[in-house]
Amino acid sequence: MEVNPLSVILVKSDSKGDRLLFRYPFRFLEKNEPANTKRRNPYTLPNLEDLLQSPTQPTSNINKGHLTGFTDEVLSSLFAVKSELCNNKFELKVNDVRFVGHPTLLQLRNKQQDASGLMLINVVFALQALASHSVVTCYHDLSKRVGIALRYEEKRCGYVSEQTQTMTTAHDDGYTGNSESAFETILTKCTLAKNIKKLYEDLCSTGLVNIQINKWITLSFCLPQKVHQWHLRGKFVEPKDIDRCLKALRPYHSLLLLHPIQQMADFTGLDGSPSLERMLKQYSPIKNLQTLAADADLTLHHVFELTAHLVYWAKATVIFPICLTNKYVIAPDAPIHLNSPLIDKFSEAFPTANLIRVISDFALPTSLGQKCNPLCHPAQQSHLVQTIIWMLQHHLLLQLHTYVQYMPTDHGLAVPREKDERLVSQRNIGNVLSSSSYHPSTSEHSRAESESGTSTVSETPELRSESDLINRSINLENVSFTSVEDEKQDYQEELLLDFPDEERGNIFKIPATNNPEDLRLFARLCRKGYFHGNHHIEEIMYLENLRRSQLLQLLDKFRDVLITYETEDPAIAMFSYT
Amino acid sequence: MENTGYVLNNFDHTSQEGPIRCIFFCEFHPTAGPIISCQEPEQYISKELFDSISVYIITKAELQKSTITVTLSDYKILGFPVRIDDKKYPRNAYHFNLCLVCDSNVRTVHYEPVVIKLSDYLMAMEIESSFLSDGKAATKLAPILKQVIEELNTKGECALTEGPTATHLKVVHVRSDPAPVADHQVPVFIKPLPDQQWDLTTQQVAPYIDGFNHVARIAALSDVENNLVKACVQNLVYYGVVALVPLFQYGNVYCTTPQLNILAHDVNLQNKCLKYVAVSQRQLPNFRDVFRMFAAMTRGTTMRDLCLRFNPANLRINERKLVQIGVLEGLIRRVHKYPILLSDTSELQKSLSGAANLDEICCATGVATQQLEDQLERDHNIVLLWK
Repeated sequence: MEVNPLSVILVKSDSKGDRLLFRYPFRFLEKNEPANTKRRNPYTLPNLEDLLQSPTQPTSNINKGHLTGFTDEVLSSLFAVKSELCNNKFELKVNDVRFVGHPTLLQLRNKQQDASGLMLINVVFALQALASHSVVTCYHDLSKRVGIALRYEEKRCGYVSEQTQTMTTAHDDGYTGNSESAFETILTKCTLAKNIKKLYEDLCSTGLVNIQINKWITLSFCLPQKVHQWHLRGKFVEPKDIDRCLKALRPYHSLLLLHPIQQMADFTGLDGSPSLERMLKQYSPIKNLQTLAADADLTLHHVFELTAHLVYWAKATVIFPICLTNKYVIAPDAPIHLNSPLIDKFSEAFPTANLIRVISDFALPTSLGQKCNPLCHPAQQSHLVQTIIWMLQHHLLLQLHTYVQYMPTDHGLAVPREKDERLVSQRNIGNVLSSSSYHPSTSEHSRAESESGTSTVSETPELRSESDLINRSINLENVSFTSVEDEKQDYQEELLLDFPDEERGNIFKIPATNNPEDLRLFARLCRKGYFHGNHHIEEIMYLENLRRSQLLQLLDKFRDVLITYETEDPAIAMFSYT
Repeated sequence: MENTGYVLNNFDHTSQEGPIRCIFFCEFHPTAGPIISCQEPEQYISKELFDSISVYIITKAELQKSTITVTLSDYKILGFPVRIDDKKYPRNAYHFNLCLVCDSNVRTVHYEPVVIKLSDYLMAMEIESSFLSDGKAATKLAPILKQVIEELNTKGECALTEGPTATHLKVVHVRSDPAPVADHQVPVFIKPLPDQQWDLTTQQVAPYIDGFNHVARIAALSDVENNLVKACVQNLVYYGVVALVPLFQYGNVYCTTPQLNILAHDVNLQNKCLKYVAVSQRQLPNFRDVFRMFAAMTRGTTMRDLCLRFNPANLRINERKLVQIGVLEGLIRRVHKYPILLSDTSELQKSLSGAANLDEICCATGVATQQLEDQLERDHNIVLLWK
């Protein structure tokens, strides 16, 4: 595993010189030496010729996942950097080991306030050189945080002077040549050494670090490349993947916790944010973020931030809220086979069901609505929803969305329009956290009204309340009512304005253009750029206050120029797709 | 748009590559300590900066002959410290290090062999003729360093013929190892095979790589041992000449990926696609038809169904090529069927455990897909997972 640290090293440098105070793990170094040296055959001829041009063997400083080949003195001389490089990122690669740290200068509490009272402290992580750039950045961040905490503790109560003093004494007292016993002593005496040990062990096991420095400052840190391993084995989730997912977050998405809600208590207790607790109280996987925000009485923006936090710390993932029309299929990399541990885990959660039987129903795109008929017992339905939630939590299912591509002529779009590009870039770059920024249309207001009206209704965990839809349709009728007086000629005029001739000709061949309402809706959606494959129909429904049936009818009527295809939402599918 | 979909996986595209900004030679002066004695271009690395990092360049004895890269906020400096022990030197040893400087955000791993080889070359010259230590190193080195930096940055290779020995430097890009090749995979050329003397196996295998023969079949046709074919194809995959696609059959099922969106907007990709899928180059198919066929690929729709629905020959589309470019560009993805046996007959459970898909099973057992599928369908204990 290339994200695990090989070693954590603590180096100080002050007026008395530099010294490696502690490293963890320290038990390995001594034992491997005899194993490496092969017995020489006394009869071999020494190879004397061509010493110069002989290819140098690539030397390795990693032995069975541990750092080897450096003495403590060499390490301390490398990490006790010159003052020019202090308080900056420190990155050094030697052969196949990469060292990352953040050398921190701190003013010792009981010394005078000049250069002689300064101490450099550097917590260095030894990583494999293969570790990606983002992993290195994360470790640097961790080292920086430890440095800041230590600087503060030194200022508050002289913690660092005391700890380094104990460590130095242990080194001086311990008989020279065997640093192991000195490290042993340090580990029992120094809390800072214990912290480093815990740091190393946490990073290697879960990737979640939670330590108390000097029993005062809490340092919590999450290594995303590691922490997501427990639910996505073998896949490295990079921070930028998470960022991309969070940038694409929309109010209609919903939060899916990966743990039972009861287990979240220790996480929230640690974090201490009351709004997070408030949100979790209202949590349900069938509520979208907007409803969740309304129920928890938080701003949408804040709910987005909390979601981002939970996703980053691998406590939750983002899905489209579970409703009757959602189509699911088996995720392409779902690790389902007879020896999979998931099968037992599933039968523990649902004793009567078999995971393979259950999931095989999703071999073809299947919606919840298709699976439960009206005669279905409510208990059965909730069981079904529970199994789907379980499978989504384990990334076994993928939701398919329908995307629409406007293709008016035989060779695609008549002219590539700037408008598309603008829309695309807006979607990618624009600050999506504020939902209204990307569609400042009139419909936005009407939607907001209707949403706030229904948010109380949807508190009951139903699958997408009907009244919501009715409300929306009423709104829509109001909108279309005002425009009925216009005549067909006007709509054609409207289209004439900005559609290229060739496209217009093809559109008017469709019989549905004779119906002014259809044509108007088509023109409106087209002009807003919904038909360029960037919006799935649920998103269009949400943004434009449309009913599914309305939209599907329109797509059917204009199927000569609108091509639909089904695929996953790239923004939120990344956590299950390799 | 050359490198998308399957091709992309072979390259580590997350980190950038960049040119060498500077190359400098530094040595340990008996009185002045570590100094830069020659630099190209001059004054790129300042004296102050060098002093703060000289500990990583003229190193302790234990770090000799190690590649050391130090990353600063603006630069990345890559070196390979060397020490030559000899009584003739003032301190009984001569230390030097030839370093490359790049921008701090680029990869430098691929320059490591160059630095090692160049250091070895200088070391050989020093031992033979005291090339570096006779006091005139700077004037002699300057043209060499200039040549190295210029040629490595433009051509990626450089031949040095100074002195009694010649040496050839070449920047070899580090790529990740290609995955093992399986019997049922189909190699496709994604660029023409470079015109050079290939090994015998490749010469024999290459004519049968037509994008439709799978590896086992190529082995049979070319009369080359199966594992040799796999090794050869894997080698070609490594060099990005060949990509592997799933076997084409009319019973296959494909599904669209979010990448399909790109096809609708990228005119270059559209043209490439049209040329690729056309039955005859004289009359290209309609793009709308091509897109429509891609869009119609969903789970549960076999290629046979699609051909019946669209009649691709009428639309001047070659459906096999259509699937090929779709898979290569990552617009579509093959949906495999994984049979799982849920009864207790242990014999069959090994092959029908859900770990192997139908293609693999068919290829291993030599049974026709249709026949196997019919048989599996009849058994109620068998569950077919599509994924």
